[in-house]
Amino acid sequence: MRVQQPAATGLDLERVDGRAKVLGLAPYAYEHPAENPTYLYPVQSTIARGRITAIDTAAAETMDGVVAVLTHLNAPRLADAADKELAVLQSDEVGFRGQFVAAVVADSPEAAREAAARVRVQYHQEPHHAALRADHEDLYKPEQINAGLETDTQAGDPDAALASAAVVVDRTYTTPAEHNNPMEPHTTVAQWEGDRLLVFDSTQAVHNARKTLAPLFDVEVEQIRVVAPHVGGGFGSKGLPHAHVVLTALAAKVTGGRPVKYALTRQQMFFLAGYRTPTIQRLQLGASPDGRISVLTHDVVEQTSAIKEFAEQTAGISRMMYSADHRRTTHRLASLDVPVPSWMRAPGECPGSFGLEVAMDELAEACGIDPIELRVRNEPAIDPETGKPFASRHLLACLREGARRFGWERRNAQPGTVLVDGWRTGIGVAASTYPARRQPANTARIRFTADGFYEVQIGAVDLGTGAWTALTQIAAEALECGPEQVRLQIGDTDLPVATVAGGSSGTASWGSAIIGAAQMFRKEHGGFPSAGDTSEGDGERNPAGKNYALHSFGAQFAEVQVHADTGEIRVSRMLGVYSAGRIINPRTARSQFLGGMTMGIGMALHEQSVMDERFGMIVNHDFADYHVPSNADIRQLEAFWLEEVDEHAGPLGARGIGEIGIVGAAAAVANAAYNATGIRVRDLPLTADKFLT
Amino acid sequence: MEPHQVKVNGVPRVLAAGPQVSLLDWLRGQGLTGAKEGCAEGECGACAVLVARADGPDRTRWTAVNSCLPPALAFDGGEVVTSEGFGRAPGACTAEELHPVQREMADRGGSQCGYCTPGFVCAMAAEYYRPERRPVAAGEPAPDQGPNGFDLHALSGNLCRCTGYRPIRDAAYALGAPADGDQLAARREAPAPTVRLTRFVSERAEFIRPGTLQELLDRLEQEPDAVLVAGATDVGVERNLRHSRPRLVLAIDRMEELRRLDVGTDYVDIGAALTLTEVEQGLGGRVPLLNKLFPQFASRLIRNSATLGGNLGTGSPIGDAAPVLLALDATLVLTSRRGDRPVALADYFTGYRRSVREPDEIIRAVRLPLPLAPSTAFHKVAKRRFDDISSVAVAFAARFDGAVLTELKIGLGGVAATPLRARAAEDALTGTELTAESAAEAAGILAGEGTPMDDHRASARYRTAMLEQAMLRFYAESAPELEVIR
Repeated sequence: MRVQQPAATGLDLERVDGRAKVLGLAPYAYEHPAENPTYLYPVQSTIARGRITAIDTAAAETMDGVVAVLTHLNAPRLADAADKELAVLQSDEVGFRGQFVAAVVADSPEAAREAAARVRVQYHQEPHHAALRADHEDLYKPEQINAGLETDTQAGDPDAALASAAVVVDRTYTTPAEHNNPMEPHTTVAQWEGDRLLVFDSTQAVHNARKTLAPLFDVEVEQIRVVAPHVGGGFGSKGLPHAHVVLTALAAKVTGGRPVKYALTRQQMFFLAGYRTPTIQRLQLGASPDGRISVLTHDVVEQTSAIKEFAEQTAGISRMMYSADHRRTTHRLASLDVPVPSWMRAPGECPGSFGLEVAMDELAEACGIDPIELRVRNEPAIDPETGKPFASRHLLACLREGARRFGWERRNAQPGTVLVDGWRTGIGVAASTYPARRQPANTARIRFTADGFYEVQIGAVDLGTGAWTALTQIAAEALECGPEQVRLQIGDTDLPVATVAGGSSGTASWGSAIIGAAQMFRKEHGGFPSAGDTSEGDGERNPAGKNYALHSFGAQFAEVQVHADTGEIRVSRMLGVYSAGRIINPRTARSQFLGGMTMGIGMALHEQSVMDERFGMIVNHDFADYHVPSNADIRQLEAFWLEEVDEHAGPLGARGIGEIGIVGAAAAVANAAYNATGIRVRDLPLTADKFLT
Repeated sequence: MEPHQVKVNGVPRVLAAGPQVSLLDWLRGQGLTGAKEGCAEGECGACAVLVARADGPDRTRWTAVNSCLPPALAFDGGEVVTSEGFGRAPGACTAEELHPVQREMADRGGSQCGYCTPGFVCAMAAEYYRPERRPVAAGEPAPDQGPNGFDLHALSGNLCRCTGYRPIRDAAYALGAPADGDQLAARREAPAPTVRLTRFVSERAEFIRPGTLQELLDRLEQEPDAVLVAGATDVGVERNLRHSRPRLVLAIDRMEELRRLDVGTDYVDIGAALTLTEVEQGLGGRVPLLNKLFPQFASRLIRNSATLGGNLGTGSPIGDAAPVLLALDATLVLTSRRGDRPVALADYFTGYRRSVREPDEIIRAVRLPLPLAPSTAFHKVAKRRFDDISSVAVAFAARFDGAVLTELKIGLGGVAATPLRARAAEDALTGTELTAESAAEAAGILAGEGTPMDDHRASARYRTAMLEQAMLRFYAESAPELEVIR
């Protein structure tokens, strides 16, 4: 494997899209010019399960400015209605509260909304189930879980090993439903010109979006163009098209060619744009008195929507994190009448690390061992699940570096003993990991322009991760030119095919294709190209994936204060050290790590989507009640990384950094809170009431 | 009559929009899409813009507000700056050179996905131009303060989901002082734009800015369903989230009679239409209990618009001002064509979002009796440090004679359908010596007041525990002084 020597990569280049963004001039999906647009406002179901028996649209239809009122009775038919999340207005069935049951298209947003309020829907309501319980009666085993992983795994005889283990931790941990809540609400602007569809979408994957849409509308992918130069965050929720994309494109079929604009409101996003499924995780760790783990089981119960399966790979982390001769992981789903869960930053590893890493803290205490030393004693020589060597496993280096920087030696092993000005104070640690998943199906094109620039084209997307900047640097390095000579073009299906900005795979996957294209360009056109010279290159498959386990690792440290009288909890200090292969741009990378840790603090302290099971209703469906961390909640926060290049991770040597920052963060906070108070909270979030005894 | 107009980024623009159109939607409709909608209820700050507000009679203060809440018509005749309008030559909609705030944000990685960025830029710029901001001369800056005097509370109402806030804070703390020739800095030295008496009438809705209190009261008597708009931090939410579309909107945010701050010998009158920020600046710390409230009240962006009149007028059980004003024994001066009617705040609330205020009455002022009780405390318990709705809020105002409590008023929020006074606990302690034992007993009594509920913010059990804790903390905070007395 040839590895590019760092030149333009590694440069502390300012974000190339920063200027447009601070001026407010970067266009998001809603802001592209659209001629004579119409505006969509939906009607959402008010029951969680049942059938629509009647819809009265007369009052809405006669209102000034209304172009069309769509219901399941008159909406254009989709060619493929198999995906029930996407099959909007195709039947009278209601599968969750908040589902689209009608939509108004009008000349103004105001008219659309007013008319939508006048649509009357009658239902035949059927009994529903909307609450996740460990003893749910119809739990089932999905065929596979997210990322195409096996649902269950087993090695050795876990039950027997547990029966004979000297020390056993057997606990249940829960994580609540959480909503991604990117700052930009999900938005689609769709326009049909004959049988060609143009979509401005806030999406993490322009090419995947059109691949999903094409069969629904019975057109070839080439007939659809999806454009997304700037996306206001996604964290997974914009990775797969949701119902609103289909609804908007469907509505655009009845406007006589006029564009239809639709941005979900913040409230609607809680029902229609995916969310992290709640999990119930039973962890059993069996160890010798000196903390060597012989058995590790991780049994997960989580929810999916009855209309579409999503199985979070929550226990996946327990398959590779620590050595244990006897292991078991299982995933069981409760199929509920709830909105469809989907990807949220580090699906699987994020909730799974809460269970595993808090259980490790409990085991450390049960054995009387320092939590870092416990991890040292259980460091596997090879991937326990696959038997392959790790391409690069620097967990212990991260833990040691973090301990040194954080001042771990000042930790008081006895919990609940430090009280400062009425605040109980403690520190905690957790390990972090995320797989390196480079996607092969990427192509980049490079063209030399008449004015002496390299146009680098790939249908990638920057949802805030820094792709505009990182890919510019990668191209410059591969072409051996300055970053200022590169003109990057991304965010458009007119550009060569690219995979999703998700799974921390974007930079490595797209970057490989750009490196391939650059090599091809130099081979075909040499060092002194002429205007118009063009080459394409693909991201090669990674042969190392067959022989090595490719994962990033990290160590999360937190200092937490819990008020002795009120239980109010603050994260006063947090520090992460990561091993993620090559870092392309330290400035944008730092932001990515800090942002992940901050979302982890949110997970630890605030974030929880509260289901009122009586109505199938998410109660706190806005920013007033669904709390993400605010500025004041983030105190001292630092991220560091090991300088490394992973020669097995492809030509770039990078493994991706979008997700590892959140993995283990909530566990570190919970472990610190235990150290502060002696109260072990196993159910997120760590709200004040849980610390009052 | 002249067309309605707003000067945006130095350029006058005709404003042709009904009262249902927010400032944000109007600006975006003008092609100025820098300001964004993130939540439509003043929680996230993605829509923040700068507006020119009076800073005394002769000067102007650039103030950041959430543009998603107020109607655009409220800015008729006003001046607004959006993220597009900064730079060396404000006036041009596209800046040729970045403004120092934008320069630092871009340079330090304060922008990732960029959607929140224009709002952060505006909130940060307001603090950059705050005339009182000075570099910290010596020693450590205060908590939440940069070495350049930047008050981080300026950003308490802006949410970012990408950066973890650190790069943004780095940018804020790196800012210097405005350079010579900075036009926005120079603009502060001239009076704020004159208030226009806007009248917008269409078939469906009217927006009127009455010139005098009398005109307002006349109109209100004729149309008691009219909606009064000051900061619009509540009615804006009603419009955006619940699609409320009043037929008549009466703007009172600039009405002189509602914007006075009178400090008399036996009372302080706070005009109902003064913003929380203006009250804070005007009082200059003279009411210490209010000073404990201000940083806890929503966010700076909201405090720049929200008024005490609005906070009490909605009658919300979780408004943060009510418990404090109850402890201060405030009286509301209600007024109508029939004249002034003072009502003790303790008698004002009658039920969930209901009060004794008649449909034709408005809150003119909040009256605080003097002298103030010298010992005060405010305990707000919420999940987030700032920018959060309280689970429980408890305010104390007490007077001691030696160790004996001669006067005690306790205001509670979040524990019943209305804010209320904790009469039983007050009665139990008044006239007695405050000791560990009497405080513990009173804590038990206080815990029994109100009818706290379980909801997603906190359990009833937790709320009850917080009431108890509040009393114990009040004792603990008073104890050192009592010890000296004893």
